[in-house]
Amino acid sequence: MRQAFLDRAHRAMGDPALQRALDRNAEGRQQARREAWAGLYDVEDLRQHAHAIRQVTLDRLDSYLGLFTQRLRERGVQVHQAATSEEACQIVVDIAQRRGATRVAKSKSMLTEEIGLNAALEKVGIQAIETDLGEYIVQLRHESPSHILTPALHLSRQAVAETFLSELGLQVTPEVSDLTRAARKSLREVFLSAPIGVTGVNFGVAETGTLCLVTNEGNGRMVTSLPPVHIALMGIERLVPTLSDLRVMLQLLPRSGTGQKLSSYVSLLNGARREGDPEGPEERHLVLVDAGRMAVRSSGLSESLLCIRCGACLNACPVFREIGGHAYGSVYPGPIGSVISPGLWGGESYGHLAKASTLCGACVEACPVGIDLPTLLLRVRHQQTRIDPQPRWLGRSIRLFSWLATSEARFGLAQRIGALLSRLQPQSHGWLTALPEPLAAWSAARHFPPFAARPFRRRTRHLRLQGSGRSPEFDPRVETFPLPEASPISDKLERFAAELEAVGGEFIRCPEAEAADRVVGQLHLQGASRVLAWGQVEPILFTVLQRLEQDGFQVTQPHLPSRPYARPEALVKLDGAQAGVTGAQAGFADTGTLALSMGRRRSLLPSLLPAVHLAILRSSDIYESMQDWLDKVGAPLAASTQCMAFITGPSRTADIEMTLTVGVHGPAQLVVICLE
Amino acid sequence: MRVQLMVTCLVDSFFPEIGEAVVEVLTEAGATVSIPRGQTCCGQPAMNTGYRSQARKMAARTLEIFGREPYPVVVPSGSCAAMLRHGYEELFADDATRLRQARDLASRSFELSEFLVERLRVIELGASTAATLAYQPSCHLLRGLGVDRQPSELLSALNGPPVGRLQPDCCGFGGAFSVDHAEISEAMLNRKLDEIDSAGVEAVVGCDVSCLMHLEGGLRRRGSAVRCAHLAQVLTSREPGLR
Repeated sequence: MRQAFLDRAHRAMGDPALQRALDRNAEGRQQARREAWAGLYDVEDLRQHAHAIRQVTLDRLDSYLGLFTQRLRERGVQVHQAATSEEACQIVVDIAQRRGATRVAKSKSMLTEEIGLNAALEKVGIQAIETDLGEYIVQLRHESPSHILTPALHLSRQAVAETFLSELGLQVTPEVSDLTRAARKSLREVFLSAPIGVTGVNFGVAETGTLCLVTNEGNGRMVTSLPPVHIALMGIERLVPTLSDLRVMLQLLPRSGTGQKLSSYVSLLNGARREGDPEGPEERHLVLVDAGRMAVRSSGLSESLLCIRCGACLNACPVFREIGGHAYGSVYPGPIGSVISPGLWGGESYGHLAKASTLCGACVEACPVGIDLPTLLLRVRHQQTRIDPQPRWLGRSIRLFSWLATSEARFGLAQRIGALLSRLQPQSHGWLTALPEPLAAWSAARHFPPFAARPFRRRTRHLRLQGSGRSPEFDPRVETFPLPEASPISDKLERFAAELEAVGGEFIRCPEAEAADRVVGQLHLQGASRVLAWGQVEPILFTVLQRLEQDGFQVTQPHLPSRPYARPEALVKLDGAQAGVTGAQAGFADTGTLALSMGRRRSLLPSLLPAVHLAILRSSDIYESMQDWLDKVGAPLAASTQCMAFITGPSRTADIEMTLTVGVHGPAQLVVICLE
Repeated sequence: MRVQLMVTCLVDSFFPEIGEAVVEVLTEAGATVSIPRGQTCCGQPAMNTGYRSQARKMAARTLEIFGREPYPVVVPSGSCAAMLRHGYEELFADDATRLRQARDLASRSFELSEFLVERLRVIELGASTAATLAYQPSCHLLRGLGVDRQPSELLSALNGPPVGRLQPDCCGFGGAFSVDHAEISEAMLNRKLDEIDSAGVEAVVGCDVSCLMHLEGGLRRRGSAVRCAHLAQVLTSREPGLR
C-alpha cells in the first residue's frame, strides 16, 4: 500500500502537465480563499462559531437525526437508513428498478464516489450519468476525481478535447468555452429525459427537514427538479441544527472552496412536489448513510466528521501540491483524506497516508471549521505503529533514540560516537555529503551537519549566565486590530448592484412604470421570442406579461405534468425558450444574491432552463444579507417552499484549467431589473 | 528575570554555537539563564512518527527536569516549543498527574523570539549585520504557536539592510518525512530553494534549527553561497552560517 502510494506520487511528480495544473490550483485557490476570508468581518470568530455548530451537532447526533428524519417524513420525503455502503447502493438500485429506470442523472457527490454507487448501478444495467462538467469529463475517461471540488483538476483542455473526440465523437477545439458548450449540449438531453436524479447533500437542516445543495453549474438544480424522482444521499454527519446555522456554513463553504462569496446556486429543498407546485419530483428520497461514520465518531478521529468538504485543505497542502489527488489512492485525498480514509476504511489500507505530511499546519489554517488536522494525523500515525509499522527502520531508530535520550550519560556517549563517525563520512566545507542507510535518502539532495566535537551541554562552564542587569523595559504598546474598512457604498441597493456585477450579473434600475419597457427591451436585445415566465403572482408581473403578449412574445408558464412519461416531451418544449422572466422574493446586498421560491405559478424553470434570466426585484425587498432576510421575513418561507433557490450570478464553472466559463448548464446571463 | 534554557537536542548535538548565542541574547536582554542538567530531547521525533510510548518516556523526563524550578522555559525552536505547549497535552491526555504537569509547563514555555518580545519586552539589542537577510517563517512557529510579529520586530531593529520575508510555505523537512518521503520532501525543498535564489539575499534567518539545517543542507548541495542563520546568531551580530 505504502509502496504503491510512493510509486503514484513519483509518477505525479514527473508529469509536467499535472505539475502545472497543481501549481495553478494551489496558487489560484489559496489566493481566492484568502481574499474571500479577508472580506468577512471576523473570520476567526466565524470559524469558531462554525466549529461549535458542527461539534454540537455531532455530540447530539442521534437526537438531531431523529428530528431531521421526522421533519422529512412530515413533508413527504421517503427516508432510508443505510448502515453500509452496500446497503446504500442497494436502496438506490431498488428504487431505480421499481421505477423501471435504465439511467439516472447525477450531480457531483463525493458520498456516491465513496460508496461506489455508479458501479453498483451499472452492475444491474442502470447507467449513471455524471452531469457536473468536471465529473462528466472524468467519467468519460473512466477515471476517478482527483480533487473533491474540481474532479478534473489534473486534466488540460487538450486532454479534455481528446476525450470528447474519443468518447463522444465530438470534434471540439481545445478552448474552454467551446468545450463547455459541447458538454452543455450533450448533457441537456440527459436532464430533460432522465427518470431519476441522484445527488448528494451539502447540509441537512434538522429543525426544518431541509436539504441544502450548493452548486455553480446549475446541474444540481436540474436533477433535483426535472426528473420525476430525486434520490439524495447524505452522510449522517452532514447536519446543522437550524437555518441560521446553515447560513454560517454558507458564509464559509464557498469562500473556502472557490473563493466565492456565495456559490451561483444554493437550493433549499423541502419535501416532494405538492399540489400546485409547477415542478419538482413526485418522489423524493433521502438515503442517510453511516458507512463507518458512527464508528469514527466514537474514535479519536471524530473531529474529522466536522468536515464540510470544501477542499481548502487540499489547496493549501504543500504535499498535495506536489503529488495531486490520485496519488493518495482514496476517494478523499489530501490532509482530510489522510484522516477520513483510515478512519472509515482502516489503517491497514490507508494509514500510511498520514505520514505523507510535514505537519506544517497549512491545512488547519485553511479549514473553515478549524479541524485540527495535524493532531488527527498524529493520532493516525500512532495507531499505525501498531497496525503497520512501516518503514521498519523508523521504529527501531525511534526506540534506540528514546533509549539514548532517556539517560544523559547514554546521550552524551552517543554524541561522542556521532562526532567520531562524522569524521569518517565524506565532507565538503565541514558538512557531510553522504550518510549511511537508512539516512542516505537525506543526503541524496542535501548535505548534513557533522556532530559537534563538543556538544553545547559540555561548553556551558565559560558562559556568562547572569543577566546584564539592564532592567526589562516596560513596553506600553497596545495590540491594535485593524477595523474592516468602511464600505464606501453604504446604500444597500448600490451594494447589491456592485456585488451582482462582480459575479457577472447585470443590474438595471428603473421606476415601476418602466418595468415592462425594460423587460421587452432586454428580450429584443437578446433576440428572444419564446419566453418562460412566472404567472401573474403580483401586479407588476401582470403588467409585464400583458405587455409581452401584446408585443407578440410567445410566453409559457411552466407546469410539468405529473405523469412521469409525459415529462420529457413537456421539458423539450420548455427548453426551446430563449429567456426566462421571474420576480424575486428578496435580494441580499452582501453577496448580490436573488432569492426565488417555488410556488403556485412560480416555476423556477425560467431561472434555470433558458440562456437568459431576467428577474424583477423590488428595491424594498433588498436585505443586508441572507441572515437579515431569514431573521426578518425569510425563515418561514425558506422552510416551507418545496424549493428555494438562492441565485448569485450566472451559471458558472472553472472545472477545466480553472478557467471561469459562464452558462454551463443554467443561464449564461442574469439581468436584475430593480424597481424603485 | 530568571529563565531555564531548553537548548534542544539538535542545537546541543550539532550547533552548540547557536546555544551560546541564545544564552548571550537572553543575558543581554536582562535574563539570568539556568541550563537544567540532564536535558536531552523533548520527544518530538517519537511523537511525530507515532511512537507515543517512546515519546512519553522522553516527555516525562523533560517534565521532571523543567519542573524542578518554576521559572519560564525558553526554547530556541518553534517546533520544540510547540511540542511543550500543545504536544504534551495530547500525549498525556489519559494521565491526570502528568497532564497537570504538562499544562503547567505549557503555560511557562516560550519560543525565544516570543519570550524576548512578549515577556522581556526587548526589541532593540544593538546588533548589526552587513548581510542581506530574508526571514523564513517556519511552520510550527507560525501556525503552531502563532508567533510571527515577534521575530519580525526583532529583525527590523537590526542595524543593517532591511530584512525580507519568504513565503510561509513549508520547506519540506517534517522530521522523518524528509527521509521516508524523500522524493516529496525534495520537491518541496527545491521549491523553497528556488524562492531563496530569486530573493537574492545572502542569508536566510529563522527560529527553527531543524528547518534551517534542512535549508542550509540543500543550499550547500546546490553549491549556493547563501547561508542560514538562527535568529540568535543574527541578534548577536554573528556571521551567517549554522556552523
